[in-house]
Amino acid sequence: MVSQGIPEETGYIIFLFAATLALVITLRLVISPRDPRPTPEKKAPFESGSGSWIPRTDHQSQRYYPYILMFVVYDVIAMFLFAWALDLRALGAAGTVPILTFMVVALVPLAYALHLAGQRENW
Amino acid sequence: MPDPVTQIVQLITSTYFLEIVVFPGLVSIAILGALFTWFERKLTARVQLRIGPMYASPAGGILQGFADIIKLLFKELIIPEGADRFFFIMSPVTALIIGAALLGLIPFAPGVQIANVEVGLPAFLAIVTLSPTIVLLAGWSANSKFPFIGGLRALFQQTAYEIPLWLSALGVVMITGTLNLTGIVQFQQNNGWLILPQALGAVLFVVTSTAEMERLPFDLPEAESEIMMGWQAEYPGPLFMLVQGPAFIKLYAFAALFSTLYLGGYLGPAIIPPIVWFFLKTIVIIVAIMLFRSTFPRVRLDQLLRQGWTTLLTLSIVNIVIAYFIVVGVPAI
Repeated sequence: MVSQGIPEETGYIIFLFAATLALVITLRLVISPRDPRPTPEKKAPFESGSGSWIPRTDHQSQRYYPYILMFVVYDVIAMFLFAWALDLRALGAAGTVPILTFMVVALVPLAYALHLAGQRENW
Repeated sequence: MPDPVTQIVQLITSTYFLEIVVFPGLVSIAILGALFTWFERKLTARVQLRIGPMYASPAGGILQGFADIIKLLFKELIIPEGADRFFFIMSPVTALIIGAALLGLIPFAPGVQIANVEVGLPAFLAIVTLSPTIVLLAGWSANSKFPFIGGLRALFQQTAYEIPLWLSALGVVMITGTLNLTGIVQFQQNNGWLILPQALGAVLFVVTSTAEMERLPFDLPEAESEIMMGWQAEYPGPLFMLVQGPAFIKLYAFAALFSTLYLGGYLGPAIIPPIVWFFLKTIVIIVAIMLFRSTFPRVRLDQLLRQGWTTLLTLSIVNIVIAYFIVVGVPAI
């Protein structure tokens, strides 16, 4: 029941995917409208009529950037907890004490990180 | 070398192929996705005392979703000037693949499951984690201000709600002692549905998964009245369909995961078949999440992030403590 690795039908699935894609593209070539010479207005990005802005390669304000940094750390911590939860019954108290220590060590800095993330000079 | 015709017939009639292509795989996902778009429009309309779509078929416009798919698929493909063509086109395609991959992990009935992997629950959550990157790329590649703002919002929101989502699902793992989704359902067969011991976890799971799906009240990345559909603003017809499709597929997948984790999946009295039980539970969850849209106003981004990182995280840790005492037993004081 439990499947591991790539099944042998993979080639056929890829073929099916490619065939569907080819069918849609062919139908599109036949049916859907095309504009050989689009005007600059048609190709311009939609900005509610307010004209274009700085290009995408320019720098942006990253106001909530600290939250992303916190995510990088605490996502890994959440993953560790899954390993502990899976063997909770077998580990018992011997496994709980280290994980409690780990949680305290991880969550006290979280409060400080949230405090820093809310401060305007860190935006 | 076998006869190619025999080979193709063998392939098309094999269970594995039918599971991937027909049910619970691609064709059923497409049909259900189209039906869910119609259903949501009809439900929202009824809540707001409107009629909703009604012309696309005699039965209350039930074919509206299919009509929309055909219309969108053959519209003109306009790519805005200065857009990064590769990422602009590939992001919705990847989002669709990610959405469909989620449903490959769900046990729909005993034996009806595409991939019964040993780590089904973390695999599901890990696939969900890919989504913010895709959305940010989609918003960035359009070279326009509203899509970029929407993409950044999606990145912050989905990463902030990822951790409460994982931790609320952790309670189920602690109680069942398995990561396999079929194993979780079998545990509930012997010990009752997990929604009772894990009520707090279930509520947290619904809230955080609504935020992961970018649905109201957490639809900041595509807030129509603020940033004009956000990261989807620049997408022309066919690509817009590929952007909207994953939203409904994710709704379907998260509702299916919820009914697997907390409502016993396909379990139920044997009067009706397991698969019908599964869909009944899933549709109840879908209706509940769709009613959020008509009920709650949109929240602000800074409120959303603070609440996600403080209230929801604290509550999910409380939920872990509850699960711990359920497993180990409350100590006599």
